[in-house]
This record gives sequence, C-alpha cells and structure tokens, in this order.
Amino acid sequence: MKFLINPNKFNKFTDIIIKPLYLLSAICLVVGLLFSLYLSPNDYQQGSTVRIMYIHVPSAWLALLIFFIMTIYSIVGLAFKIPFAFIVNTAIAPIGTIFTIICLITGSLWGKPMWGTWWVWDARLTSVAILLLVYLIIVFINYSFTKIELKEKIVAIFIIIGSINLPIIKFSVDWWNTLHQPASISKFSSPSIDIAMLIPLLIMTLSFALIAVLISILRIKYEILSRKDKIS
Amino acid sequence: MNTIQIIFSVFLKEYKINLRNFNNVLTFLFFFFISIFVFVFAIGPNKEILNHTGVGILWALLILSSTLSLKKYYQDDFENGSIIITHMSGLSYELISLIKVFSHFFFIQLPFLISLPIASILINLEIEKISLLLLSFFIGSFILSCLGSISSSMNLLNKNNFSLGSIIVMIFSIPVIIFSVGIVNSEENFLPLLKILTGIAFIFFAITPWVSAFCIKLALANK
Repeated sequence: MKFLINPNKFNKFTDIIIKPLYLLSAICLVVGLLFSLYLSPNDYQQGSTVRIMYIHVPSAWLALLIFFIMTIYSIVGLAFKIPFAFIVNTAIAPIGTIFTIICLITGSLWGKPMWGTWWVWDARLTSVAILLLVYLIIVFINYSFTKIELKEKIVAIFIIIGSINLPIIKFSVDWWNTLHQPASISKFSSPSIDIAMLIPLLIMTLSFALIAVLISILRIKYEILSRKDKIS
Repeated sequence: MNTIQIIFSVFLKEYKINLRNFNNVLTFLFFFFISIFVFVFAIGPNKEILNHTGVGILWALLILSSTLSLKKYYQDDFENGSIIITHMSGLSYELISLIKVFSHFFFIQLPFLISLPIASILINLEIEKISLLLLSFFIGSFILSCLGSISSSMNLLNKNNFSLGSIIVMIFSIPVIIFSVGIVNSEENFLPLLKILTGIAFIFFAITPWVSAFCIKLALANK
C-alpha cells in the first residue's frame, strides 16, 4: 500500500493498472447504461424518470467520498508531512466539483417532474449546494496562491474545517423533515429498493467510481510531473 | 515585564491604532446603514414585509460589513513586521491571534452593537425583540471575529485574489445566521437556539488560535 503515499511507487503501480482500468471502466459504463436505460423496470409512480437515479445517486456518493478522501489525506499530510497527500488534494478537488455539479443538475431535472419545482431550500439540497461552494473555494485557493508550499497547506486546513459539512449532508434527511427522501440503500441486509433497480444502480456506481479513479490517476500523474518541472 | 503586562500593552496598541483610524470603523458603520437604505428602497416601504424580512436583512448586512474589515486584520502587522516583534517579546502566535480576535471584537464589532437599536428602528422591529437581536449579535459577532481571524490569516500572502477571504467568512457564517435569526424570530422559547449558538462560539473560540497561528507561521516561513 506504499503507492498511496509515495509518488514513485504510485507512478509504477498506476502504469501497470491504467490500461485494464480503461477497459474495465468502459465495459462497466456500457453495461450499466444498458441496464439502467433499457433492462430495468419503470417505477410504478415515477414512470421513466426514475432512470435519473442511476446518474444522480452515484455522483452524489462519489462527491461525498472524494471529499472524505481529501479530508483523510489533508489530516495525514499535515500530521506526517507527506507532500504526496497535498498533490492528491490538488488533483482530485475539480473531480469532486464536477460530480457535485452533476448531482445537483440531475437532481434538479428530477425534481421538476416529481416535486413540481427545480429547487427547494430543503436541508439535503442546501447542504449539497454548500458542499459545491466549499469545493469551488478549494479550487479557487488552488489557483490564487503563487507559492505551492503555502497553498497546499492552506487548502488542507480549509478542507479539514469544511469537512464539518459531511455529517450534516449525511444525516440531514434524518434530522430534519425534508422533501428529499431518506437513504434507501443504507442497510445492505434489507435495502428498501427493488433488486431489479439495485443491480443497475450498483453497476453504475462501480463504473462512476472507476472513471473517477481513472481521471484522478491521470491528474495526479500530471500534478507530479508539473511539480517536478517547477523544481528542476 | 511579565506576560500579563505584555498582553495588556499589545491590547493598548490595538486600541490606539483603532482610535487613530476611527474613521475606518465609521466607514464600516456607514456602509451598514447605506446598505439598509438600499435594501429598503429595493423592497419598498411596506411595513409588514419589512417586519417579516427585516431581521434576516440586518444579519446578512452585518456579516457583509464585517467582511470589510478583514483586510486590516493581520495584514498591517504582517507587512511592517510588528507581529514578529510581538512574538519576540514572549507571546506565542496563538496568544497573539487570540488578542487580535478580542481586539477586533471590542473595537470593530461593538460599535455595530451600539448602532443596532437605531438600525432596528429603521426596519420597524418591536421593542421586545431588540434585546434578543442584541443578545444574538453579541455572541454571533464573536464568531464573526474568529472567522475573520481564520480567513485573513489564510490569505496573508494572497496578493491577487483577496476577496477569497470574505467568501470563506461568508460560507462558514451560514450556521451563525441560521441560529441568530432563529433566536430573534422564535415565538416563545429561544433558549435551545441560544445554547447551540453559544456552542458554535465556543468551538470557534477553541480552534481559532491554533488555525490562525499555523497559517501565520506558514506565511512567515514563505514570505
């Protein structure tokens, strides 16, 4: 597991896995789209619009997961002085931003036919919008400092303070009465979702995760190269 | 000199600087009142609408005008090197940032507290609610001072994009505005909200010295 904190080992490891990853993510995406668009049943209430879920839910999970990974990397990087952690932070913040934007846009498109409105100031929706703002500020900080050593640590501090939003997003549907429905798949023993819809959802989640890993590997490699270029 | 005397003299220095630049504070207050006028012109002088939205508008404008003072927070001391001099006389950076927070609270936020009753007359707030507004502002402005310390110490070496500091303050002041406006607008029992607001204030009081001192040390190392 040294490749998670060592740039050279990371490069060596990802050189091996990147080609299978391309293939696997393409296959997963095709199979998942096939399942979610044609082979899964319509909802008895929502009809065909339930298929938005297969994009909306995986991107929301990944947005949260990427922020969580960034939080762990910033704590580890500040505590043990590991520069690679800050490289990862810089590289994967825009990916999380894009996933949050996808989640918000698809949710808004889903909300118009179901709730009758594009946007409500509901606890879950508002906290995800705040997550988008936090992501955007992280990206802005990345671009507005000239010194890398200063910038990356400030970004790490900001991520740690901003991670207080994560439990608020997770539990917002339990703490407040919201229009957004509570989690259906939190308990894997008896999920309150039909198995015919669960399988495409899991395949889509897998394919989204693989694509996210792929793009982050490419961005981390680019970041390592550009830092080497700046040093030399 | 022992530590207490040093702390007192640093505080006295802050007081003198703020007294000499008192027109600065007056400008923040002027901004606050001008923006209330702009809001009332935009909404219209309907008394019921003003009563309904007034407290929220006041709080939003208070946060906006407290972001104006961010640029003066650590920047001058950092540029002319007096923060290093203070550190050399035996105060840690954590203590310096704590003194800065309290001096910002006393010399920048308390004038707002004094002027708030006048502002709440402008938006037709009931007399009973003014005391609640003052109480919520007294706790909330301390949180705003802590947030200002964090964000301005983060942006010490940020030459080309300083408005990032105000964005950081505004995004973390979301819970402050929720609970403070909730206190003023609550029908009968405001104690639970007050307890939550006080808790937030204590959280920020606990983390602000460490975060600010870390950022100041980073900025001094990379100057």
